[in-house]
Amino acid sequence: MSDDRVAQLLLTQEIAQFLYAEAELLDERRHDEWLALLAEDIRYWMPMRRNVKFGDTEREFTREGEDISWFDEGKDTLTRRVRQIQTGIHWAEEPRSRITHMVSNVQLLTVTPDAGMPREVTAKSRFLIYRNRVETETDLLVGKREDTLRRDGDGWLIARRKIILDQNVLLTKNLTFFF
Amino acid sequence: MSGIVNVRDLAVGTRVMLGSGAEVEIVSNPKDGVWLFARYLSSADDAALVGQEDMIFAQDVVEVRS
Amino acid sequence: MNGTRGYHSGLVDLASGLISREIFVNEEIYAQEQERVFARSWLFVGHESQIPNPGDFFASRMGEESVILCRDRAGAVHVFLNSCRHRGMKVCRYDDGNTTVFTCPYHGWSYGTDGALVGVPFFREAYHSELDRAKYGLVEVAQLCCYKGTVWACWDAAAPPFLEHLGEFSRFLDLILDGWDGREGQAELLGGVQKWIIPCNWKWPAENFSGDTYHNISHRSVDLVGAGPSGRSRRDYSELSASRRLHVAIPDRGHQTITYVLPRDHQPQPAYQNSPEVAEYFRHCEEERRRRPGANSRLIGAPGEIFPNVALLPRQPRTLAVWHPVSAHQTEVWRFFFVDRDAPRAVKNFLRDYYIRYSGPAGMTEQDDMENWNYAHAASRGVIARRYPYTYEMGMGHAVADYEWEGLRMPGRVVDLTKAQASEEPMRNLYRRWAQFMEADSWDELATWRREAAREGLAAQ
Repeated sequence: MSDDRVAQLLLTQEIAQFLYAEAELLDERRHDEWLALLAEDIRYWMPMRRNVKFGDTEREFTREGEDISWFDEGKDTLTRRVRQIQTGIHWAEEPRSRITHMVSNVQLLTVTPDAGMPREVTAKSRFLIYRNRVETETDLLVGKREDTLRRDGDGWLIARRKIILDQNVLLTKNLTFFF
Repeated sequence: MSGIVNVRDLAVGTRVMLGSGAEVEIVSNPKDGVWLFARYLSSADDAALVGQEDMIFAQDVVEVRS
Repeated sequence: MNGTRGYHSGLVDLASGLISREIFVNEEIYAQEQERVFARSWLFVGHESQIPNPGDFFASRMGEESVILCRDRAGAVHVFLNSCRHRGMKVCRYDDGNTTVFTCPYHGWSYGTDGALVGVPFFREAYHSELDRAKYGLVEVAQLCCYKGTVWACWDAAAPPFLEHLGEFSRFLDLILDGWDGREGQAELLGGVQKWIIPCNWKWPAENFSGDTYHNISHRSVDLVGAGPSGRSRRDYSELSASRRLHVAIPDRGHQTITYVLPRDHQPQPAYQNSPEVAEYFRHCEEERRRRPGANSRLIGAPGEIFPNVALLPRQPRTLAVWHPVSAHQTEVWRFFFVDRDAPRAVKNFLRDYYIRYSGPAGMTEQDDMENWNYAHAASRGVIARRYPYTYEMGMGHAVADYEWEGLRMPGRVVDLTKAQASEEPMRNLYRRWAQFMEADSWDELATWRREAAREGLAAQ
């Protein structure tokens, strides 16, 4: 196997492990450590989706920075959301939900400058989030994430996340958790 | 081209043959795959139709002429 | 009905201020509501900024039913039942777009944007040209009203016109639709309508937005982190604390709201200092607003409810919600967000960010409301729970008519909340009207103000 292919393989595995570790932090409610994985200039965006006519692809998603979306956040608002949960009196998340983030289909889309010494990577993954609350409230949310990850020492920071949820009418009563 | 035609993407100005033997020219296409607005260029059984505009049902279209 | 023991067996007992839990959880009552409330009321359908051009359409909802809001080739606005007249299939399953016809995928019937049946396959052959196509256009609402861009529709031809239905509540609807600087009708929608399902009856959010000033404790977590409804970090805190906070209930209409009235000589305070462009925009708007004649310059909008299921928040965030009934136990919420159409991009973005953070399922404030409605509903379903009516007694007998403060008169029945903090006058008003709808056989009985006007007319003779 060529050096280049080996480097790709290792990098893909490294990114996947990063995403799994991130999911672990969220599932274990280690939110402060999760916030530390976010770049200071992070954009965290979950557009809404419309049912559109065949070919009308431009209008399927609400536009970042222009339309109403489910999330269109920076680090400050993500931090506030975490702090709100940590008050212990955010009733929508008190008692706490039980949650599992399953991450799969990790693919590297672009690597800058190369897999041997990557500074920035764009990666796509699929998620299945299972959330169970109080007695029998259960939500299953499935979709894709497009991430931009930036090298930070030996690790990575999430500089940008676009979350593509496969729903039109949102089928969960709230979004008190992170994707 | 003959057989089953997907009328959804046929451009304005396209000429199509109908099962009745008439030839029509598409005037506008609502792109629903079900209807076309067209003008009769010729008709096998009713000369009065020529020049008239009508809604054409997809199942009546048998061939794309141009 | 004398307005005290309402809805037949006294489910809404305003003499004692007690309302039965059945109205929220009973499935027969829910079924009756579809006929008696939703089929007869004016309902919000959308905004003209969603359908600016001929052929534009927006799939909307009235009650449980899917409707199409569209603009025809001539530019006229229509609202149609989204159901083919032949065999019922939805003729529109896209959220919005532009079209020349609505075509049914089942048998191919096709309708113009004016609702006319224009395409019937094999009309000459199978129907022998005998079908009366004029009879089978898309079902159209009986009445439609475009008010400052908002589109309202009603299935009942006997209902009074929309503005008459709105009555003296119109100034509160104006607060969300007029410009921040007071110019008439400047609002447009931001793209994207939030739609989501909540597991409770539609009347929980309806009564909350009618004027629940009692529940701020449930939003304490968002106040603690900033950007909550009562946090001192709110931009408009100094304005709100200088104002009189009121409950205003329009009797006989079932509309009610919280509102703030500024003192006569109030000077606007600088705000949004972090963003010079935004600060200047709002400074300019406030100055213009004070210059304009009319009482609205002294009103600060707050949560309110238009009967039956439209909630207004004219201020911060600036949003309108519709509580669509799905079942006795489920509601589909649609949330629309407004900005002034000619506000600078930076201002629209600034507001948009706040809206998303505050309202909707990802809204830090709205999330806690929904949790409460969810479990209040669930806890009301049991046999034992239903034996215990809810108390809506707060502030009974303390509302006044002819309220005035520093020269500004308020309509309807008013409770001054400056000391009282809260009252349930708005809820009593909402349910009085709801009970009237559930009992009345026609709009003759429901348009009670017309009878009073007639009586006054006779007395004057």
